[in-house]
Amino acid sequence: MSPFETLKEKIREALPGLDCVIGWRQGFDPLHATPFFMRAPEDVEKLVWSPLCVHNLSTYLPSFRGKKVGIVLKGCDSRGVIELLQEKLVERENLVLFGLPCSGVADLTKLGRAAGDLDRVSAVAWDEAGFTLATPRGEVRVARRDALADKCLSCQFPNALEADHLPGDPLPPATGPDLGDEELAALEAMAPADLMARWAAEMSRCIRCYACRNACPMCVCRDHCIAQSRDPHWLSQEDSPREKLMFQLIHTMHLAGRCVECGECQRACPVDIPILALRRKMNRVVRELFDYQAGLDSQAVPPLFTFQVEEANIKERKW
Amino acid sequence: MKIGVFVCHCGSNIEATVDTASVAGTARAFPDVAYATDVMYSCSEPGQDGIIQAVREKGLDGVVVASCSPRMHETTFRRAVERAGLNRYMLEMANIREHVSWIGKDREANTNKAAELVRLAVEKLRRNRALFPKSFDITRRVLVIGGGVAGIQAALDCADGGLDVVLVEKTSSIGGKMAKLDKTFPTVDCSSCILGPKMVDVAQHERIALHAYAEVEEIGGYVGNFEVKIRKKATFVDWSLCTGCGLCMEKCPSRKSHDAFNEGVGLTTAINIPFPQAIPKKALIDARFCRQFLKGKCGVCAKVCPSGAIRYEMEDEVITEKVGAIVTATGFDLFDHTKYGEYGGGRYPDVITSLQYERLLSASGPTGGHVKRPSDGREPRTVVFVQCVGSRDTSVDRPYCSGFCCMYTAKQAILTKDHIPESQSYVFYMDIRAPGKLYDEFTRRAMEEYGARYVRGRVAMIYPKGDRLLVRGADTLMGEQVEIEADLVVLAVGAEAAAGSPALAEKLRISYDKYGFFMESHPKLRPVETNTAGVYLAGACQGPKDIPSSVGQGSAAASKVLGLFSRQKLESDPQISQVNQRRCVGCGKCALTCPFGAVKMIDVRGEPKAEVIETVCQGCGICAVTCPQGAVQLEHFTDNQILAEVNALCQS
Ligand SMILES: Cc1cc2nc3c(=O)[nH]c(=O)nc-3n(C[C@H](O)[C@H](O)[C@H](O)COP(=O)(O)OP(=O)(O)OC[C@H]3O[C@@H](n4cnc5c(N)ncnc54)[C@H](O)[C@@H]3O)c2cc1C
Ligand code: SF4
Ligand code: SF4
Ligand code: SF4
Ligand code: SF4
Repeated sequence: MSPFETLKEKIREALPGLDCVIGWRQGFDPLHATPFFMRAPEDVEKLVWSPLCVHNLSTYLPSFRGKKVGIVLKGCDSRGVIELLQEKLVERENLVLFGLPCSGVADLTKLGRAAGDLDRVSAVAWDEAGFTLATPRGEVRVARRDALADKCLSCQFPNALEADHLPGDPLPPATGPDLGDEELAALEAMAPADLMARWAAEMSRCIRCYACRNACPMCVCRDHCIAQSRDPHWLSQEDSPREKLMFQLIHTMHLAGRCVECGECQRACPVDIPILALRRKMNRVVRELFDYQAGLDSQAVPPLFTFQVEEANIKERKW
Repeated sequence: MKIGVFVCHCGSNIEATVDTASVAGTARAFPDVAYATDVMYSCSEPGQDGIIQAVREKGLDGVVVASCSPRMHETTFRRAVERAGLNRYMLEMANIREHVSWIGKDREANTNKAAELVRLAVEKLRRNRALFPKSFDITRRVLVIGGGVAGIQAALDCADGGLDVVLVEKTSSIGGKMAKLDKTFPTVDCSSCILGPKMVDVAQHERIALHAYAEVEEIGGYVGNFEVKIRKKATFVDWSLCTGCGLCMEKCPSRKSHDAFNEGVGLTTAINIPFPQAIPKKALIDARFCRQFLKGKCGVCAKVCPSGAIRYEMEDEVITEKVGAIVTATGFDLFDHTKYGEYGGGRYPDVITSLQYERLLSASGPTGGHVKRPSDGREPRTVVFVQCVGSRDTSVDRPYCSGFCCMYTAKQAILTKDHIPESQSYVFYMDIRAPGKLYDEFTRRAMEEYGARYVRGRVAMIYPKGDRLLVRGADTLMGEQVEIEADLVVLAVGAEAAAGSPALAEKLRISYDKYGFFMESHPKLRPVETNTAGVYLAGACQGPKDIPSSVGQGSAAASKVLGLFSRQKLESDPQISQVNQRRCVGCGKCALTCPFGAVKMIDVRGEPKAEVIETVCQGCGICAVTCPQGAVQLEHFTDNQILAEVNALCQS
């Protein structure tokens, strides 16, 4: 039995004791998988597992708090679960974690660029080397590294870090280029004024849909998001790049030491604003200051959720 | 809302570089400002009366005083506003002195900046609301930590003032450093003769509960109601039975134990009473040296003890005490001179510390008061004193002056002459610091009457020459090298924070400086208070201090405690955090970060929510910045209040 079939069997066995199991099913077109809430054993047949299972499903967990649920996890998704566990936003005893070794998911924006128009792709297939898209212009072949999400090329955690079931052989970490690092280096080399101008230009495209926030597994304020509340009045309704960037910075600050770099924020953005760079920058700072990476150990205490009179790497007294 | 703005001249302090009348003029155009004027001295009686009168006549709802730092006069103006019939939190101050007039000379720029600061204050005040303190009962008992002379004084004064005192001392007897001293400057009176009676008073005072050989393990609660866990370390002797007869010490076969009281000059028995005047006078087994513990057999003390007090199986015990205030008097420790390789790094037996020398001078010391060289027991003829060992030396990270070493060195030079009339003392010094009453006269006496030769300069090196020591240094006044052959070298080691001070400070939630000395609330005006309500300081734990100052602080701390307890009830500060439970998602991050344990998680209709314990919260605001939901707001410093200030500044 393939690891995926084994997993399905495990889900069928577990389902009677669970409210639901969250996975993916085929979406509205060949290129899209969509989140899927399995409630009955017969639903399990519709479960899919492919490089199109892009969504980090751990985003849904806090809304099931207090209920027993199962969830299917890629390696990166599991970090979201771990972070939620650390933050007591979900209870371990209420979760059944179904992990699968993941060799990378597609970046639909990249595929779209290759295909010309994603909406007109009538079929998609993949193999070790890449993706084949059927388009009105004929077949388009996209090499793996031009099709996968950036994060997957250098993924360090392809296997769920915490799981109750993890069929199949664990995969080794990916060895591709760290494109995120390259992007950051380019940004850091910019003069502050140019950098500001760049962000102002990027943010002027933002439509304030808050898809980035909604996709983020660590955004747990539910209906109290500071972005939309006018009390406290952190953001105004004013439609300016300044307010929009302010939201991104608030999000980045709130994610300090919590962001698991799943990249969902950027993936969800309908206008492709490269906002993940802000989170990556913050993650790097957290790593340098606290030697900490979010979502690796459910027993660890995130560095910003403790109080220490003196931090090892912050020489306050020397300021 | 009707706001009144009062712009202070502070004499010429502000007016010299700020056009206060024009600031008042500008302020009249700010939203809700109904009245604005400049005042000569707003803190003076006529100044305050002016504010009160304006509130009453113009029907003001809030007041902005643009003057000095709120640190000093916020309470003054809050009281004035209250006298005028407003809530005391309907006051804002704009600091246009420290932040404006004192730091810039450009009158026009200063005037503009002052007006902007007033604008911030007005915007903040528009969002203030009346806050009310809660009152709560006080546990009228006090904990004194450390039984040196400062702690003893604080304990006695509190007890005489009618309070129950819990005194916790780390070693097995109170007395601290002073108990080890022979004589004390500047009067050269016998240390144990003046300290001894005070120690006995502690033992006999019915209001003082002494826990010797104990340490504070944990401190919870808040001013008026602290809960303290005290670890009573195992002494292996049942002190309720021990009569202090000392038979065990006579018979104990392990006679090579470290003698901490005598600073390691001489040895003692594994079971011992540190010194004859010890309070409590009880024996204690040092398990590092006791044969029963090391080899599993001996039991001599158990056999000889007439009261059957020996308990080899004894374990530490943790007790809990409830107190309303805490005085810390944990004193100091000595700089470790082995860090100076050029002085032998502790390798030469005849290079000793000043405190070891005190023990050699003391009649109750290991040599019975005869000054003898540790190496061969010979009486020294030439004694060299080296001052500032581990003081005023940035190379060992001790830039500060230890304060009392100049004085005790002069004292020791005098006593050396008294003990050995044919001796000659030399003192290497950097400067003589003798500012106290009769102090300078005292150091002069050491030189003029007792013939101590003072050499201004540092010692470069000490090394053995035969059975003597060659001390090489510079005489910077004469501009020449000096070499002295000495029989004994006494290092005036500087004072350091007592071991474990930072850890204790963290338990007490008080601040400490880079060197571990506890921080007072204000270096001039609140020298024995800390920034944690109900915690006071006395003695050398706050910084090097001689006996008169330590005793003075002990009494000062006691009077603060008595003052605090003279109130019927205490009032809590309403500038604390509050959780908006509708916003709270119960993640508990605030509870994790609160350094005071002031947030507790509660269950609200099946959902976890945070709640701030009003009396415990210190209003530090850490939880408020932690909560991503903005569910925690610090009263008087809410997000909206701060944002209003930022907006006023950035958008004006
Ligand atoms: C060699 C020498 C000679 C001196 N001669 C003179 C002199 O002649 N005249 C003069 O005015 N001054 C003199 N001094 C200074 C004098 O020793 C100090 O001023 C005085 O001891 C300060 O008293 P204190 O109570 O603050 O501290 P200490 O005497 O240090 O007492 C502190 C006490 O607290 C205890 N303690 C420490 N930590 C803890 C803890 N965590 N929990 C519980 N208990 C704790 C200690 O065991 C100790 O008993 C001399 C100092 C030295 C080193
Ligand atoms: S901020 Fe973006 S990358 Fe980070 S956890 Fe949220 S969605 Fe994932
Ligand atoms: S998803 Fe993109 S467009 Fe939407 S709010 Fe976030 S950054 Fe703006
Ligand atoms: S941090 Fe905020 S949301 Fe979390 S428990 Fe505290 S108040 Fe509630
Ligand atoms: S403000 Fe918050 S973190 Fe600070 S003491 Fe109060 S409850 Fe604790």
